[in-house]
Amino acid sequence: MRVTQSLEQSQFIAAIDQLQSTISQNENEVSSGLAFTAPSQDPTAAGEVINLDQALSQSQQYTSNANSAQTSLQTENTALTQLQNQLQSLSSLALEANSGTESSQNLSAIAAQITQIQSSLLGLANTQDGNGNYIFAGYATQTQPFALTASGASYAGDQGQPQIQVAAGQTIAIGDNGSAVFNEIKTGNGTFTVTAAGGNTGTGVVGASTVADPSAVTGTDYTIKFSNPTTYQVLDPNNAVVAAGTYTSGQTIAFGGLQVTLSGAPAAGDTFAVAPSTNQSIFTTVQNLVTALQAGTGTPALQTQLSNAVNAALGNIDQAITHTSTVEASVGGRLNAVTTQLSVASSQQTQLQKSVSSLQGLDYASAITTLDSENTQLSAAMQAYTLTQGLSLFKYIG
Amino acid sequence: MSDLFSISTTALQAFEAAINVTSNNIANANTPGYAREIVDLSATAPQTIGQAAVGTGVAISGINRAYSQSAENQLNTSQSTLSQLTSLQTFTSQIDNIVGTTAGGVTTALQNYYNAWSTVAADPTSTPSRQALLSSAQALAQTFQTTSSQLQGLNSQINAGIAADVQQINSDATSIASLNQQIVIGTAQANGQPPNALLDQRDALISNLSQLAGVSTTTDSNGAVNVFIGNGQPLVLQGNVTQLTTVPNQFNASQLEVSTSTNGNNAISSSITSGDLGGLFAARTQAIDPTLNQLGQLAVGLAQSANTQQNSGLNLSGQFGANLFSLAGPSATASSNNADNTTATATITNVGALTSNDYLLSQTTAGLSLTNAATGAAVSFTGSGTAANPIVADGVSIVLSQTPATGDQFLIQPTASAAGSLNVALEDPSQFAAAGALQTAAGANNSGSATIGAATVLDAANANVLAPTTISFTSPTSYTVGGTTYAYTSGANISLNGWQVAITGTPAAGDSFTVQPGASGNNLNALAAAAQQTQGVLSNGTISINGGAGDLVTSVGSQAQQVNTSQTAQTALNTQAQQTVQSISGVDLNEEAANLLQWQQAYQASAQAFAIGNTTFTTFMDSINGTYT
Repeated sequence: MRVTQSLEQSQFIAAIDQLQSTISQNENEVSSGLAFTAPSQDPTAAGEVINLDQALSQSQQYTSNANSAQTSLQTENTALTQLQNQLQSLSSLALEANSGTESSQNLSAIAAQITQIQSSLLGLANTQDGNGNYIFAGYATQTQPFALTASGASYAGDQGQPQIQVAAGQTIAIGDNGSAVFNEIKTGNGTFTVTAAGGNTGTGVVGASTVADPSAVTGTDYTIKFSNPTTYQVLDPNNAVVAAGTYTSGQTIAFGGLQVTLSGAPAAGDTFAVAPSTNQSIFTTVQNLVTALQAGTGTPALQTQLSNAVNAALGNIDQAITHTSTVEASVGGRLNAVTTQLSVASSQQTQLQKSVSSLQGLDYASAITTLDSENTQLSAAMQAYTLTQGLSLFKYIG
Repeated sequence: MSDLFSISTTALQAFEAAINVTSNNIANANTPGYAREIVDLSATAPQTIGQAAVGTGVAISGINRAYSQSAENQLNTSQSTLSQLTSLQTFTSQIDNIVGTTAGGVTTALQNYYNAWSTVAADPTSTPSRQALLSSAQALAQTFQTTSSQLQGLNSQINAGIAADVQQINSDATSIASLNQQIVIGTAQANGQPPNALLDQRDALISNLSQLAGVSTTTDSNGAVNVFIGNGQPLVLQGNVTQLTTVPNQFNASQLEVSTSTNGNNAISSSITSGDLGGLFAARTQAIDPTLNQLGQLAVGLAQSANTQQNSGLNLSGQFGANLFSLAGPSATASSNNADNTTATATITNVGALTSNDYLLSQTTAGLSLTNAATGAAVSFTGSGTAANPIVADGVSIVLSQTPATGDQFLIQPTASAAGSLNVALEDPSQFAAAGALQTAAGANNSGSATIGAATVLDAANANVLAPTTISFTSPTSYTVGGTTYAYTSGANISLNGWQVAITGTPAAGDSFTVQPGASGNNLNALAAAAQQTQGVLSNGTISINGGAGDLVTSVGSQAQQVNTSQTAQTALNTQAQQTVQSISGVDLNEEAANLLQWQQAYQASAQAFAIGNTTFTTFMDSINGTYT
């Protein structure tokens, strides 16, 4: 085949161009550390990297969400722990007031301390997080949820429970609404309440009450009625007698699966109402206690009323403590879930980053070897060219 | 004796000419299109002396080009394909870079946008979070716009390329026609000997032309060449030229087409599939427009899903959220060749069914027909095009202003201009609807076991939809809402003021439930907006926006890769074709050097023969002189 010099020349230039462009591309790879800088170099991997990047970015967002959830839950946890402490103090003060030996003056002092606690409770119920959001207001985070009223406190929040996404398909409640924490506390022993009628003239005081047989509990109202100081009857809402007996102070009266202890000396005609527990705000409980303490102990009737009120308050405070513990446990559980999620997300991110770099990351050893061999090839090509260019018959003529 | 002189003279003349031809070959060793020339020598007619025929010398019978038409044709075809691929590659690699740049690309912007929603969900009343969301939405819209305008910019490069190519084709065609005339005259004058230099020039022009657009040629007996373009449209016939013109596309005046007439009725763009011009058309129809459409499809999916979510939640002022994104709807353009002035209007009715195709709606004698504008495949549709019964196909509905004249055509582009027109419609960060529209609550003192589910908005336009409402149970079996008492069935929907809600379980008399607008700290809608990141929106809900962006990158990358591969392969083929042509027509300097020596020696020998003739004659003359003196 005839080979002409001009073809040789143009082919040499084309070959050099080709080599130089490959070298430049490899240099690009080495300097960027990326196996491909344009999708055309590996279209499938480029598409996969986008999906992995998305998963990575989403997972990082979940981590940031989880950190924010952790902060919110820790704020709530602190508030709940303080709430527990305040309720314990309240319980001790109520017990102190119930010793029966306190003067009206002392009782007023105790009432003043309880009022102090009431305002700390209000402060806790109106806790704000670092962003100024009320944490016990449900979704109404910009509205102060609790304000004291004559009978307790009003609630201006709602029943929402903001959730935060901490993983694909997993949201965590970052708060509890104030109604659920402070208002929805069962009265009495959690199942039923026993209340002395306001018009009682005797000194009958309601003591401990328990559920003896949960399967027999009917959930209806009962009235314990004393026809004389030693005889009692238990009536259902239709005035039918469900139990009756002779009363001695400290005696346990049992009916419908319930057990009620009464002490003191009830008068003829005194009644005690037995009703299923309802929800009562902790603020109402405290307010009722303060009102009873302020009434003093001037007469045996007042003393009896105080004892009954303080006993009722103690029961309600116990319920509040139990209730708060339950909420605290749930917050603790959620904190654990967030912590678990944070560590899961962290290892997931490491995994995703590994996958991205295995697709996109450059194998330096092989890239540099390739670059080196291409450089050698280029200099060899150049040398070969100068060698063949020297060959011309014209050199030897004449 | 005179014969010896005349034989030597013919030889000296012939070898001098041969040396001239060789020198000319050397001189043109690097001239493009030059075909090396060969001197054809032949012995002149012999003279009869006695019984024997004695040669009378040598004559030049012709100076011919070392030339193979078939090798030349092969090279031209291969050049056409190569320049088509090279010009296409210029654009696919630019698109590859535009779409594929991950930093600052659509996918990064999308991730930032969804993450910003998630941050707002974590603290829905925080103004900084909302501001960050607004900025990320603006950055996302900006990215779509920039990508789209960069792709549109390629379209103007293509227009400029088409105009330049057409100008060059016309100029080359004119030169070929004029060379044709000169060659015909020159050949006739030289008794059938063609003027080689002109043939070389013409071949060079044809080669040039085939790099601009694939052409085919035929040669007439008088030596003139006819050149045809596209599907055989004549460009040069003997000495006549059909000038090409650029005309605006019948549907899109901003896209240039090539026509053989000025009125644009004979657009031949679609038949030009090779050469630089073929590459420009391919880049436009196979690379740029489909990418713009795919990008537009993403923009439509994003805007539609984000707006729907915005509309179903409440902003910080407690109002339903306004649209977050705005964009241009589908375009439906009537052909400039239409017989009447019927207009078409297209709207997107179902984003999930939307494709990235363009459609051609035509009124034929058999009625309306809808085809895929790129492939020509028929697309099934329903409806007749009236406002009451619009044409519906692939998620797009089309209404015609009247029944079009037969032959009328409309180009429907559902997504072409969407990406370029994507804008953020909100200005104030408080307008993001992070809160769910309605929230429900059970009364704090409820003693029954009934619970209320989430309320669903059925009619956001209802004036009272956000009015706080209490559902009160007067007994376990009946409830009062909006002043009317109804019988209660557990789990049945309770509807009022454009919303519905279900209460399940056993309520007690006196229990109450409330339905009220979402509070500012409610983050349900923001959670739903952030969750859209992985939600299927496109292709009937199977592909998320981000997944669509990944698919776009893969398809753009694959196309660029495929064009690169074809271009490399074609370069190799072309080198081979060049080698073949060069091995026939190229000038090998070593060969010419040898020829030069050969002719020089022959010349020297002939001169020596002449000298010997002279000496012989002198000897003869001397002997005569010697005898007579």
